Amino acid sequence: MIDTLLSHLDTLLLLALAGGAVLGGALMLVLRQPMRVALALILTMVCLSGIFGLLGMHFAAAFQVLIYVGAVMVFMVFAIMLLDERDPGAQRYSRLLVPGVIGFVLLLAMLVGGVWRALPSPRGELSDAPLGIGQFSTTFLAEYWLHFELTSVLLVAAVVAAMAAIKTGRRRDRGG
Amino acid sequence: MRASLTAIVLLPLLGFVLNGVLATALGGRVAGKRFVTLVGCGLPLLSFVLSLVALAQLAAGGWQPIVETAYRWTQLGDRTFDVAFYLDRLSMVMLLVVTGVGSVIHIYSVGYMAHDEGYGRFFAYLNLFLFFMLLLVLGRSMLVLFVGWEGVGLASYLLIGFWFDDAANARAGKKAFVTNRVGDAGFLLGMFLLYQGLGTLEMDRINAAFAGGQAAMLPASLVGVLLFIGASGKSAQIPLHVWLPDAMAGPTPVSALIHAATMVTAGVYLVARLAGLYLQAPEASALIATVGVATAFFAATVALVQTDIKKVLAYSTVSQLGFMFVALGVGAYGVAIFHLVTHAFFKACLFLGAGSVIHALGGEQDLRKMGGLARHIPVTFVTFAIATAAIAGIPPLAGFFSKDEILWFAFASPQGGSPLLWAVAAATALMTAFYMFRLLWLAFLTPSRIEPEVEAHVHESPWSMTGVLVLLAALSALGGFIAVPHFLAPQLPLPAIDASRHATETLLLWVSVALAATGLALAALLYAGRGERAARLAVRWAGAHRWLSAKYYIDELYERVLGRPLVWISDRVFLRLSDRVLIDGTLHALAALGRFGAALLGRLQTGSLQVYAWFVLIGIAGALWWGVRHV
Amino acid sequence: MDRTQLLIGVAMMLFALGLFGVVVRRNVLVMLMCLELMLNGVNLSLLTFAHQAGNAAGAVLVFLVFVVAAAEIALAIPIVVLLVRDKRTLNVGSYDELKG
Repeated sequence: MIDTLLSHLDTLLLLALAGGAVLGGALMLVLRQPMRVALALILTMVCLSGIFGLLGMHFAAAFQVLIYVGAVMVFMVFAIMLLDERDPGAQRYSRLLVPGVIGFVLLLAMLVGGVWRALPSPRGELSDAPLGIGQFSTTFLAEYWLHFELTSVLLVAAVVAAMAAIKTGRRRDRGG
Repeated sequence: MRASLTAIVLLPLLGFVLNGVLATALGGRVAGKRFVTLVGCGLPLLSFVLSLVALAQLAAGGWQPIVETAYRWTQLGDRTFDVAFYLDRLSMVMLLVVTGVGSVIHIYSVGYMAHDEGYGRFFAYLNLFLFFMLLLVLGRSMLVLFVGWEGVGLASYLLIGFWFDDAANARAGKKAFVTNRVGDAGFLLGMFLLYQGLGTLEMDRINAAFAGGQAAMLPASLVGVLLFIGASGKSAQIPLHVWLPDAMAGPTPVSALIHAATMVTAGVYLVARLAGLYLQAPEASALIATVGVATAFFAATVALVQTDIKKVLAYSTVSQLGFMFVALGVGAYGVAIFHLVTHAFFKACLFLGAGSVIHALGGEQDLRKMGGLARHIPVTFVTFAIATAAIAGIPPLAGFFSKDEILWFAFASPQGGSPLLWAVAAATALMTAFYMFRLLWLAFLTPSRIEPEVEAHVHESPWSMTGVLVLLAALSALGGFIAVPHFLAPQLPLPAIDASRHATETLLLWVSVALAATGLALAALLYAGRGERAARLAVRWAGAHRWLSAKYYIDELYERVLGRPLVWISDRVFLRLSDRVLIDGTLHALAALGRFGAALLGRLQTGSLQVYAWFVLIGIAGALWWGVRHV
Repeated sequence: MDRTQLLIGVAMMLFALGLFGVVVRRNVLVMLMCLELMLNGVNLSLLTFAHQAGNAAGAVLVFLVFVVAAAEIALAIPIVVLLVRDKRTLNVGSYDELKG
C-alpha cells in the first residue's frame, strides 16, 4: 500500500494542497473575526505556493511566499491590528447575501459550463520538465521588458502616493 | 430708335436702388438732396420719354402689339414661364398715364417733402412703386401682373405708413395691405382656374381662347367673379373699400399717385385687359356693374358729410372707381379706361391741390377750420376749381365727356344697361357735383374760419408744386378731347347700340349737364356765407347725418363680425390650446420623460460598493454566457 | 480529470469565492482580503496554463501580477486607514457618500 501511496505521491500531494486552498477560501467567507480570516488566506496562499512547486516552478513558489505572504499579508495583519475592532455584535454579511449567493451560483455555472468542460486535453505526456528560471528570465527580459519598465513606474507612483497619504494623515492630525 | 420695354420698367427700379441705398440711413445718407431729386425725378421722366418713343414705334408698326421677353423665369417639363412685356393700345394708354402723371407727382413731391427728414426714403419708395406699377401694366402673363400687383400693395403699405412714428399711420398701412390680401385670395383662385383650364397665364392668349370658343369648359363667370374679388380689393369696392379712407394717413403725393391715379385703377385695368373673358361671362359682368354702382352711390353719400379735406377726396375716389366698374360691367371697356384717364388728371390735381392747401395752412386738414383761401392762394384755388368742375361733369371739361359716356352706356348697353342702373348712377353724379362744390366753397370761398395765428402764415406753394397743379388742371380741362374710347375701339369694341336711340342719347346728355348745374347750385345755396342752412339741415336730419359721418359703421361691423372672432380664435385655439398645451406641453412632457428616466436610473447609484461589485459579478457571468453562446 | 482540469477548477473556485466575498462581507479589511483571493486564483490559472503549454509568458505575467498586487495593497491599506479614521467604522455599508 505504501508503494501505491509513494508512486502517486505527487498526485496525492496535489489533491491535498488543492483541497487546502479551497478550504482556506471557504473559511474566509465564514469566519467572523478579521484576524482569523487573514490566517485562512495565508493558508490558501501557502497551499498555492506548494502547488506552484509541484508544477515545477520553484521560483514562482518562492515569490509567492516572499511577496504575498511575507509582504502583503504581513501588512494586512498589521492593519487589522491597528484598526482594532472589538465589536462582537458586528454583522458578518451585508444585505446582499441572497443576491450574492445567486450571483455566485450563476458565475460558477457559467465558468464550469463554459470554460472548464471545454478545456482541451493535454497533448501527449504532461512533461514535468520545469519551466526553468533561465527560460523565464529570457522571456521576461526579451519580450516583456516594456511591461517591466512600466511596472517600475507604477511602483514609483505607489511610493509617491503613499507619501502623500502620510502627509494627508498628518495634516488631519494636526487639525490644519 | 428702339425703346426697350424692359428699360422702361427697370429705370425706376434703378432709382429705388440708388436712392434706397445712398440716400437713407441704410447707406449713411451719403447722397444729398440734389442727388435724390435728380435720380428720383429724372429716371421716371426718362421712362416717360421712352414711353413716348414706344408710342411712336407702336404707331409705326400698324398698332401691332409689341411683345418683348425679358427672361425665362422657369421651365417645368414642357411648360415655360417667361417674364415678358406686352404693349398694345390698352397698355400704351396705361403706360402714358402711369409714367406721365407719375413723373409730375414726383416733381410735386420735391416741393412738398422738401423739409422732411425721410426725403431720400420717400423717393426710393415712390420709384419702387413706379417699377411695380409698370410691371403690372406691361406684363404679358398674369404672373408678372400679379408680381406687380403685390408689389404696388407693398409700396402702398410702405408709403401709407411713411411717418411710422405715429402708430395710427402704421395701422392704416397694415389695414390697406391686409384688405388687399383678402382680395388677392380671389385673384389667385381665378388664376389657378385659368391655368388649369387653359394651360397658360398669358393674357393675350387667354382672351383669344375665350373669344375663339376654346374655353367652353371653363366656367367663365366663376373665374370672372374671382378675379373681380381681387380687383375690388385693389380698387376699393364694397366690401373691401375700408382701407382707402384710412390710407389718407400717408403724405398727400402718395394719396394722389397711388390712391387716385394709378394703383387703385389696377383693378379696372385687370378687368379691361381680360375683356375677352368678361364678354363670355354675363353673370360676372352683371355683378361688376351692380357692385360698381352700389359702391359709387354709397361712397358718394358718405362724402356728403365728411369734414376732412382728404377724406372727401378719398370717398370721391371710391365713388369714381365705382363708375369705372359700372362701365366695365356693361361691356364699355374703352369708356371705363377713358374715365380712368380723365380721373387720373383731375383727381391728381385735386389731391395735389389739397396738399397745397394743407401745406399753406401748416398741416390743417379740417374743413371746419378753413375758408376764404381763394384770396390767399389764388393759383391753388383756380386749379382746384377747374378740377372740381371737371369731376362734377361740367362741359366741356374732361370729366363731363367720360362720365356722360358711362351714363349713356349704363342706360343703353345691350350687355346689362338698364334705366335703373342709369338712375342710380345719375343720382350719384348729382351727389358728386354737390359734395365737390361743397368742398370748394368750404375751403376757399366762405368767410374764413382759420385760426388767426395760422392765417398769418398762409402762403402760396413753391413753383415746383403749383406748376404741376397748373399742368394737371390744363389736362383736366382739355383731356376730354383725347378720344380714348375710339383709340381703344379696335381692341376693345364698344357695345353696339341701335342708331335709333340717338335721340335718347342727346336727352340724357342734357340731363347730365343739368345734374352738374344742380349740384353746383345746391352747394352754393347751402354753404355760401356762414352755411346756416347746411347747419339747420344737419340738425333736422341728425340721425342720417350721424350714420353718414360714421361711414355706415362698416369698420365697427367688421371689427365685431371678423375682428373679434379672429382674435378669440387666435387667443383661445391657437395660443392657449395649440401653442401652450400641445406644442409646449409636448416639449415639457419630453423633458419630464427625460427627467423621470434620469431619476429612475439615478436610483442605481446607491453609493454602496458592494452593490457595484455585485453588478460586476452578474456582468461577468453574463459576458461568459454570451461568449459561450456566440463564440 | 487530469491535473490541468483540477487546477483550473481550483482557480475558478478561488476566483468565484473571492468575488462572492467582496459582495457579501461587511468588514472592509475582509473585503480587501477577498480581493487578494481573487488575484491568487488568477495567478494559479496563469501558471497552470503556462505549465501546460510550456510557454514562459504565463510565468512572466504572474510575476508582474505579484508586483502590481504588492503596490496595490501598499496603497489600499493606507486609504482604508484614513477612511476608517474619518468614519470611525469598518462597516462598508456606512461608506455611501457617492449615493445618488
